[in-house]
Amino acid sequence: MARIAVTGTASFLGSRILRRLAEVRGEDEIVAVDIASPPATLQGVRHRMVDLTLPGADRRLVEIFDEEGIDTVVHAAFFTNPRRDAAYSHELESIGTLHLAAAAAAGGVRHLVVRSFTAVYGARGRNPNFLTEEKRPDPPERLSWARDKLEAEEHAFSFAKRYPDLGVSVLRFATLMGPGVHTFYTRVFSKRVVPVLLGYDPLVQLLHPEDALRAVDAVLAHGPSGILNIVPGDAMTLLTALHLSDKLTLPLPHTLAPPLADFWWGTGVGEAPGGFVEYARFPFVADGEKARRELGFTPRHSSREALQAFLAYRYPETAARARVMAEEVEA
Amino acid sequence: MSPAPKVVPLHRPAASRRAAAPAPEDLRQRVEDLERELAAARAEGRAEGLLVTLARILDAGARNVSWASLARLQRAIYFAWHSEQTDDFGADPRFAETLEPLLEFLYAVWWRVETTGIEHVPAQGPALVVVNHSGVLPYDGMMVQLAIRHEHPARRMCRMLALDMFALLPVLAPALAKSGAVRANPDNAERLLGRGELLGVFPEGVKGVGKRFRNRYKLARFGRGGFVRIALRTGAPIVPCAVVGAEEIHPIIAKADWVGRPFGLPYFPITPTFPWLGPLGVIPLPTKWSLDFGDPLDVSEYGKDAADDPILVNRISEQVRSTIQRMIDGRLARRRSIWLG
Repeated sequence: MARIAVTGTASFLGSRILRRLAEVRGEDEIVAVDIASPPATLQGVRHRMVDLTLPGADRRLVEIFDEEGIDTVVHAAFFTNPRRDAAYSHELESIGTLHLAAAAAAGGVRHLVVRSFTAVYGARGRNPNFLTEEKRPDPPERLSWARDKLEAEEHAFSFAKRYPDLGVSVLRFATLMGPGVHTFYTRVFSKRVVPVLLGYDPLVQLLHPEDALRAVDAVLAHGPSGILNIVPGDAMTLLTALHLSDKLTLPLPHTLAPPLADFWWGTGVGEAPGGFVEYARFPFVADGEKARRELGFTPRHSSREALQAFLAYRYPETAARARVMAEEVEA
Repeated sequence: MSPAPKVVPLHRPAASRRAAAPAPEDLRQRVEDLERELAAARAEGRAEGLLVTLARILDAGARNVSWASLARLQRAIYFAWHSEQTDDFGADPRFAETLEPLLEFLYAVWWRVETTGIEHVPAQGPALVVVNHSGVLPYDGMMVQLAIRHEHPARRMCRMLALDMFALLPVLAPALAKSGAVRANPDNAERLLGRGELLGVFPEGVKGVGKRFRNRYKLARFGRGGFVRIALRTGAPIVPCAVVGAEEIHPIIAKADWVGRPFGLPYFPITPTFPWLGPLGVIPLPTKWSLDFGDPLDVSEYGKDAADDPILVNRISEQVRSTIQRMIDGRLARRRSIWLG
């Protein structure tokens, strides 16, 4: 019996993955492992409560994996949004993955899929235009958000190296954007005025959640594949994305922006700390070639379509008006 | 009855001002008409000039300012000179179009560029145009790009490999990316040559562009031969190109690197006009330029593995350097005047 366990089922992507797997493979084949119960619509799925931050989490996970006959684990317990409580994020993401990987190795799991972010590469002026999986990630030093995710990846790989039976896939997803997505990034795209950096306009990649789910399907079908960038087929500049969403941009000098962002974050109003400013300054465009070659995964939505889908979801009136206008033009 | 004193009102009464403004319904109607027109123009793929866009918006009554109207104004201004879609390296066709008149002016009027040997640039397939670097700002790259686009029969787009420092600076970094340049990086170069694109490269790097006036036209060391390794790996021919005239546009008489360091600049030039004349000092001098393209050097006979042979790489690099140096020296010997050629 090959069952799949999904962690982080209260998160956006985790809950979607859980729903998708429950639909495709049947609710009996899926186990939700999370500190919180999965969404009400998925009450048929077995839920095992585990707090990944507790010291005994690994032992408890091994028990669960044995009892449920778990073969594959999809680990999606990561914070997409930066948290003010950085210590807890570190415990959950870095140490939590350490516990999970240890339990997976001891519990006879064959395939551990870890959700990650293309942001772990770090936005650097010296980045090549396309970051491949071989590129060594170099996230901003002061951004624990990105460093914790990178540590989690490293923990997973260190166990895969020591226990050859355990295969690891790390899916580095581009920034999610689309219907139903609520992250700090989409919150920025829901504001009237958005601060940008004076004289910088980097390329960004926006991934439609549907493509993210298809990539999870593909990697589960294919088996352990190492690191994979899951990105849309194109990129657009940040200002193009903001102006297509009718945002008023407020250009700030890049020397001033990080302390301002930190202050704003500190007051509790800002969406992200100053470490994120680099991502609005330099590109971190990842290359999806490996996923195409090895999984046969090609994204169905471009960055632009993902953005438009998000805008249609977030601003239904504007979208309806634009549709009417386009029809009039055609007529 | 004495006549009433004639009062000349300093301000028109508020009521009449309100009456003069069009009714809100009219305005909304006009804005909607304009938006529909704009949508129609977009559907046709018609590009709209910046001034036309601005005039439209003022006409639509940007007076009753709201966040949304400001955002629409910004959007219209942005898309007047940017395309909604760039290619995957960030090159933006409309941005290049907008910049072109200025570059053409520099090319034809300001520097009166004389281009020879353009036929040495292959009409198709990958190639690496190797150029000497000078002139503080990357004007030479823009001129080489323009020369190939305008004077080559195949109208090829030559992508320039921009120095790290230019790819880090504000304003310049996105402008270069949108006009088709990419960061000088073996990854980028191989990817583009693999697609059969034409690349321009400045192996001298910062040492060339920030050269002092007394060292003008003496080619600096050609990096560590990275461009040769890329040519060997991809089999792309190397086309040498000598730029004469760019060395005098910003004569660097001294350097105050300590001024630039806090801003992340590798050098801070002192020229006869900069920084003394402020913004005027940024205007390049109107020297007479020449661009000479030389015979392409085919390195495909050495094979891909030759890229790992440092002696060979160095030899080819030195060969290209001396070819360009010879081309420059020949041009200099024939040149009578910096300004008239």
